[in-house]
Amino acid sequence: MKTAPVLLFIVTALVASAVEQPVATSMPQTAMPACCQKETASAPFSKDSIYQLDGRFTDDSGKPFALNSLRGRPVVLDMFFASCGYACPLTVTDMLALQQRLPAELREATAFVLVSFDVARDTPEALAKYRAQRQLGNNWILLHGDDNSVRELAALLGVQYHETADGAFSHSNQITILNREGEIVHERKGLQGGLDEAALALVRGGK
Amino acid sequence: MKSISSFLCGTLLALGFMAGPVLSGGEIPRAAAPHPNEMILIPAGIYVPFSLGPQDAKQEPVAAFLLDDYPVTNGEFLTFLRANPKWQRSQISRLFADSSYLQNWRADLEPGPSAPLDSPVVHVSWFAARAFAHWAGKRLPTMAEWELAASAGYTQPDGNNDPAFKRDLYDWFARPVPAVLPAITTTRANYYGVHGLHGLVWEWVDDFNSAMISSLDPNLLCAAGATEVKDTGDYAAFMRRALRSSLQANNTTSALGFRCARDLKLSTASVP
Repeated sequence: MKTAPVLLFIVTALVASAVEQPVATSMPQTAMPACCQKETASAPFSKDSIYQLDGRFTDDSGKPFALNSLRGRPVVLDMFFASCGYACPLTVTDMLALQQRLPAELREATAFVLVSFDVARDTPEALAKYRAQRQLGNNWILLHGDDNSVRELAALLGVQYHETADGAFSHSNQITILNREGEIVHERKGLQGGLDEAALALVRGGK
Repeated sequence: MKSISSFLCGTLLALGFMAGPVLSGGEIPRAAAPHPNEMILIPAGIYVPFSLGPQDAKQEPVAAFLLDDYPVTNGEFLTFLRANPKWQRSQISRLFADSSYLQNWRADLEPGPSAPLDSPVVHVSWFAARAFAHWAGKRLPTMAEWELAASAGYTQPDGNNDPAFKRDLYDWFARPVPAVLPAITTTRANYYGVHGLHGLVWEWVDDFNSAMISSLDPNLLCAAGATEVKDTGDYAAFMRRALRSSLQANNTTSALGFRCARDLKLSTASVP
């Protein structure tokens, strides 16, 4: 994609200013545990894979994170902001409940990903604090991105959002389930119910 | 102000040619005389959102920016497609454009009679519009920027006080979309000198997915509780908001095109 060098530059600049280490040339870390690495790693993405987007983010430890490094794992994805006082905490609670419903093997393989709308305030440090507060495990990935990456990911997922004057965000409430190829296999819209369907989609998509 | 904007645009256009992949008229076969594809300076202003939530600001300041004189044409889009094959109709992923993408074109690199080179390109998705803009070293305008530029009438910055402008605007709404869109040069310039913001096609904005009236169910949408409309008589703004809120980023329609914008700050910073 034409935007990739620009995005990379922006993300690199953000990261370079956020952490005191030379990360400019390092490759984005892979989020894939050894158990799940497959021979498909270098094959082209499927026509329905959201990993074609080449979204680049920073995780809550300050490391660059390529969205497509999630390939090979089932993914539960939610866009949120850390200071949200109403919907986002409920959605995260539901994601935790969903995690509990999964068979142990699938639970370990699945990545639970939170991507923040709040580009200004949800720095990696703020996200790390959020992780601690909500006691999120190692298979949770909290991502900060620049305006462009966040807007594109939201558009791809069909998530609408809008910053209000008081610094909060109006936004769609939606949990997206991706299969190992990054194809959208299920969406839980709204704030209630639907966890069984989401779990089922993960079981199917995790194959 | 007019003269300043012409001067700036001339300078910036020249810079654009040096900076990178800007269209050169010679590459595009044109039936009609090529139009000058300039960017127009839109001075800083205040955007008053059409629809407000309880926490929304009543108005939003917009910094001065540059906006394309005309919507992007089929001819310009063809040049983009030649340089970026993955955006051609047969190559594109359904994620980035639905099945009606460029459906009025004859073939991948052949606009044909239904898509004249000097007519605005339509049946393009938000992703495709954005990709074009990045390739051209530009970006899509934000909703606030677009609305600010488009609120101008023919003779003054507030189109509400311009009866001829309002009449033409609503006449356009009343007409069905023609099978073949007219050339961009058929449109009249607004107060700033921008052509075709109304009267030809609707246009994508970068943050189209911040317009949310399709999902007012508070269960589906955080903070959907209350909305408030600034001026119920502003039918045109209502229509645009309704359209944006109903769109997905891969949607394409027969009356939806785009134009590009650019930050003034970044561009002028490189003026010697």
